[in-house]
Amino acid sequence: MPEREFPEPGSDEPEGDLLSDWLRRTAAAMPDAPAIIEQDRVEEDRITSFGELFEQAAWLAVRFVEHGIQKQDRVALVLPKSTDAIVSVFASLLAGAVYVPVHPQWPKERIEATLADCAARLVIEGEGSPPRITDRETGESIPWHAAAAGRSDSCGEHLPPGGDADDPALILFTSGSTGRPKGVVVSHRAVGAFVKWSAREFHLCSTDRIACPSPLSFDLSTFDIFNMAWCGATCVLVPDHSVWMPRFLVQFVREARITCWYSVPSILAGMLEEGRMAQHDYPGLRVVLFAGEVFRGADVARLQSAVSQAVCANLYGPTETNVVTWCCVPRDFDGSQPLPIGQPCPYATVTMDATSGELLAGGDSLMSGYWNRLEDTQRAFVNVEGKRYYRTGDRVSRAPDGNYFFLGRLDRQVKRRGFRIELGEIETALASREDILEAAAVAVEDGKMGTAIVAFVRTRSAGAVSLLEAKAHCARMLPLYMVPDHIVFLDAIPKGSRGKIDYIALSKTAETLGHASPSQAATNQAATNQAAPDNGDQDRSPAVHR
Amino acid sequence: MEIKTAVRQFIAENVLLGIHQTTIEDTTPLVTGGLIDSIGMIGLVNFLETRFKVEFVPREIDVHSLNTLEQIDELIRKKLASQQAGAAGSGQQIR
Repeated sequence: MPEREFPEPGSDEPEGDLLSDWLRRTAAAMPDAPAIIEQDRVEEDRITSFGELFEQAAWLAVRFVEHGIQKQDRVALVLPKSTDAIVSVFASLLAGAVYVPVHPQWPKERIEATLADCAARLVIEGEGSPPRITDRETGESIPWHAAAAGRSDSCGEHLPPGGDADDPALILFTSGSTGRPKGVVVSHRAVGAFVKWSAREFHLCSTDRIACPSPLSFDLSTFDIFNMAWCGATCVLVPDHSVWMPRFLVQFVREARITCWYSVPSILAGMLEEGRMAQHDYPGLRVVLFAGEVFRGADVARLQSAVSQAVCANLYGPTETNVVTWCCVPRDFDGSQPLPIGQPCPYATVTMDATSGELLAGGDSLMSGYWNRLEDTQRAFVNVEGKRYYRTGDRVSRAPDGNYFFLGRLDRQVKRRGFRIELGEIETALASREDILEAAAVAVEDGKMGTAIVAFVRTRSAGAVSLLEAKAHCARMLPLYMVPDHIVFLDAIPKGSRGKIDYIALSKTAETLGHASPSQAATNQAATNQAAPDNGDQDRSPAVHR
Repeated sequence: MEIKTAVRQFIAENVLLGIHQTTIEDTTPLVTGGLIDSIGMIGLVNFLETRFKVEFVPREIDVHSLNTLEQIDELIRKKLASQQAGAAGSGQQIR
């Protein structure tokens, strides 16, 4: 396979530096090399070369422009992770538009609200191939016609001239504490800074096979698809139905000869435990990166020993900043101490608020702001010595060697299986149901299961809402990863002297719930009843519902 | 062998932790109804494989094929039948 014949990562790029230019250059340099491999449902791999990927994307981009799509218009991709979805990403970028990845399994209402929030001009959706492209205002559709035209030499000429690296490239929607997801606007420059650094640091090249385990709506996926475009590496899509099945994932890494893996720790923890990762060899696997949540020291050590030939590294940074610090796992890491989040990446500047211990992050990878939320954007940033920093909300400490350690959150944001969750959004969702008067949610550590979410609700009358109804309501309003594990019905939510919800008391109650095994549950019931004040569920004998 | 009963029991014990008696109907949506998420699915699949001595392949793990007791029942029956047919035909053939 040809090595990169175009400018090396980090060198000056003559034509500006848009993510779409990367694909254009790579496709010109190595048109026949595989760009995307997708395992089909019928188990036949669909392989798309860089030439084909660029042609399809450019053909589609021209249709977008003909349709009247303007620079920085939003194109929403409500698509499963697929070749078509990645074609759509680059088609949007080549047309000068901003892509907005939306997970197709989000509840319908949430998807609609997101499309309305970002005022998407086009929506690309559908489970099958090819997807449907619809103009949201007029209802008109644009044909997909992937690859129908064959090699077309006119593709690139009808595309708008390149934009600015500070133009937005994508908007990622994350959980919002008031109940409405927030759109994080990310520029070409921000993605570029991270991707180019990672390519250099981990020596990624055209012979690499990078797995793509994350949904496109998750910032981790930018590493996979844009390193493909930047380095000419092959991006191997991990089928959505395998992502949480550890034993299939382990098999996937072996059979797809993955060389580079980047996911949340929860997925790796599953691969180590249920997937028995350590029992197999992965000769090609040379880079394993993780980010998004705390990876327990002991698990990190297990990972390092399971893939001893690979470089393992912890990458840190919220969606708003992408990765800003990182730490390579030492070969002799024994897991007795937590792994630091490390030291700043070269494109990032980080500092610590002296009073609160909050980590402040700035530099090229910073988001442009929240979409259409001026006040939130203003609150999110702070100026220190003339530089703009994002307030991460993460409390950290700094060791004498310069390494930062994550200590906890300053607010009520939690991570569950790597997904970022504002507990307030769960409360808002629960309270929006008829007959639920009040709701409070807390997160507890649930042993092997990781973080569990316990919601406490007060209903209009005892038994007005059943557990199944409450859960089903959450599933209609929230992504599945935000649906509480346990729901406890109370007569009154405990309050402090100023009338604010006493989350500390609720957390204590929640901790007594999570660890009860089925057999213990009945015997623990009495204790639980005492801990949970005034249980309101009268129609069934157990006082506390889970 | 009553597949639905076994699965209902499993969910009552492991998802609802056995302390509440909400009845799960044959058509109650388990995944889209917010009862079982991705991690819960791992537990359910492990249970089904052990209890019914079947083996799943990646593409069978799907919200659409494992969302209700009815669907689970149908899938397990199908898998058992094809295993039997395979065993009768070639001695052993489990995909």
